[in-house]
Amino acid sequence: MDLTYSEADEQFRAELRAWLADSVPPQWRTFGYWSRQDPDQSFDRRRDWEAAKAAAGFSGIDWPTEFGGRGGTPAQKAIHDEELARAGAPLTVNTLGLTFLAPTVMAIGTEAQKREIIGPLLRNEVIWCQGFSEPDAGSDLAAVRTRGVRDGDHYVVNGQKIWTSNALHADRMFALVRTHPGERKHQGLSMLLIDLHSPGIEVRPLRQLSGSLDFGEVFFTDARVPVDSVLGPPGEGWKVAMLLLSFERGSSAIGQYTAFRRELDEVISLARRTERGGRPAIEDPSIRQRIAQLHIELESLRLHSLHVLTQVEQGRELGATSSLTKLQWSQTHQDLGDLFTEVAGADHQLTGDDVDAARYGLQRAFLWSRSETIWGGSSEVQRNIVAEQLLGLPR
Amino acid sequence: MEFALDEEQLGLQSAVRDLIAAHSPLDVVRTVVDSPQSDGVPAGLWARIADQGWPAVLIPQEYGGLGLGLLEAAVITRCLGAGVVPGPVAASMIGGEAIRRAGSAEQQATWLPGLAEGRIRLAVALLRPSAAWDRPGDSVKAAGQTAEGKLTGEIGQVEYAHLADRIVVAAEADDATAEVGLWLVDPASTGVTSTRTPTLDATTRTSTLTLTGVEAERLPGGDPATVADLVSRATVLAANDLVGIARAALTRTVDYLRTREQFGKPIGSFQALKHQLADLLVGLTMAEHAGWYAAHALDAQLPDAALAVSVAKAKASDVARLATARMIQYHGGIGYTWEHETHFFFKRARRLEQTYGDAVQHRARIAALTLDRVP
Repeated sequence: MDLTYSEADEQFRAELRAWLADSVPPQWRTFGYWSRQDPDQSFDRRRDWEAAKAAAGFSGIDWPTEFGGRGGTPAQKAIHDEELARAGAPLTVNTLGLTFLAPTVMAIGTEAQKREIIGPLLRNEVIWCQGFSEPDAGSDLAAVRTRGVRDGDHYVVNGQKIWTSNALHADRMFALVRTHPGERKHQGLSMLLIDLHSPGIEVRPLRQLSGSLDFGEVFFTDARVPVDSVLGPPGEGWKVAMLLLSFERGSSAIGQYTAFRRELDEVISLARRTERGGRPAIEDPSIRQRIAQLHIELESLRLHSLHVLTQVEQGRELGATSSLTKLQWSQTHQDLGDLFTEVAGADHQLTGDDVDAARYGLQRAFLWSRSETIWGGSSEVQRNIVAEQLLGLPR
Repeated sequence: MEFALDEEQLGLQSAVRDLIAAHSPLDVVRTVVDSPQSDGVPAGLWARIADQGWPAVLIPQEYGGLGLGLLEAAVITRCLGAGVVPGPVAASMIGGEAIRRAGSAEQQATWLPGLAEGRIRLAVALLRPSAAWDRPGDSVKAAGQTAEGKLTGEIGQVEYAHLADRIVVAAEADDATAEVGLWLVDPASTGVTSTRTPTLDATTRTSTLTLTGVEAERLPGGDPATVADLVSRATVLAANDLVGIARAALTRTVDYLRTREQFGKPIGSFQALKHQLADLLVGLTMAEHAGWYAAHALDAQLPDAALAVSVAKAKASDVARLATARMIQYHGGIGYTWEHETHFFFKRARRLEQTYGDAVQHRARIAALTLDRVP
């Protein structure tokens, strides 16, 4: 066992840390800062900041240099995630594009698609969203009904996507659309790359439980999508979707660990200044047990991330491990949110401008954590995957 | 970055598993469980284990040991837990480590080669069962702090005391300092009473050790820090035994659920069971990581080693409790019979859960380590 990084990796960390020290404004580093900002303005600032990061050579860390990436190691990608979280840097505005679409295009895109998609994506010139879920296709993703009918050099698309993260800010969408006949529901799908600014497309915001407008609905009414905007073979969209989702595998949760650790530190700090039963909450044995349990779960998550990273660096097949990883971090984050409410007591309810930034930030994380066991495959779906693929239980 | 067992550690793991499968399958464990008066070690098993040098895994090669680290000891212990294997292996590992760390050159030369050859078996009486984790030796007083002293006190549930050639005892000085130290006790000495105490976990044998003015040899290097470190190491081995138990409980349960049919299909296809077992695998995987890391952290003297020990023991205790409870539940009626092996795993897990500090105690310690040292 050796939990140290190579000299080259540490050199990378030092360079990135130096760049972050100069480019993340001090006020951004305050816990809870972003949750206070106007969503549209904050999106633009994050988008610009991330573009500057890419220009400085600190994006696409483990992408090949031929695609504008840094050509770094998986460890450097993990270090990148860790350092950004540690520096209080803003979260990426192009998650789905960076995590899923880009590697899929690198793997199976046409030369023209590689050229047109990857560079602009890395530079945040084009923001991508994912068009998978529909009102009647959630966990049962293959039940999508949005249809694309061939008309000359175009597919004419009609239907509706929902729960689309980033829908309001996205320029393009990679969408699972039914374009061909098929006997089974997994057949006849295509992965269309749709320009959301084209006619026949309407984006409506959905207000989340937290009050934010981070996702929306996208309606297609005779929207025309060029036939060369299919990623992978037409009619083979299900396979493309599975390949795309497989890029979640091996992605380290070290970024989540670092961010959650910071939140736990804020909860601890809150526990020092909050009274509970006539004494500081930090002295309450039951609160101490809960904090310790969070420490155990977060430390386990850190070690798990390092183990996954080791497997990736050794070129081992990870299979369905990413489902297990997600169950651990999403559950831990919800436990952390619950702990916040117990430490804050009834005051966890207070909201609005008068609440101090730290408590407001924790309140936002508490609410957001409820979404994390739903999006990207609900915990129930993840448990099926873990039970069947990791434990070998029958379907 | 390499947080995984290396080739040699994986090789060791396979060797231990193979030997257990060949010489300590569950029907052999059952002979130990069903004969509570027996010495508790299957005939020939100790010789085979000793022959591999596993009780001497931590003993330097100059004394004939394997000269490996706590991580390798944890690999062995985890396999022993998975097989609910009876015998004083962990006790001998920690006893030998006490002599290696705290013994004089003469004591080391006297005991370590015999331990490495399998001729000598050791027991350790470091921590009274209900004592605070950080108060080893709190029930035994040592009069005289020179090479020879007299020990008086009582300590319960000492594993394999009845087989030990020597017992390493932690005792507090019978003076104002009350400083804890380590002593080597010959069980045949005048004033030693060792009474076998049957436990629910019948894969393990324990005794209550009563000492009345017993003449003992001091291990001169047994200062409080060394005693605490030995308790940490013993705790990590207990955690890894628990992780092994939990993994075996899960694997055996899954195997059963794949074949047992009700309502015309394998019951393992029902989501009520699948989802619980998926969650269990998540927790178990975390406990496995924590168990390796704590051993490594002590070997490498990492700054967070103290925390890592408590994380590992708390997590392993909770997961083993859950895994063995589910094992009984999901086996249904057969799982609640003496005839089935679920109770070997369940009872051993519950004993080890309360050994070297339970989850509540270790969480309290994590809180103390992380919250009470304000930067």
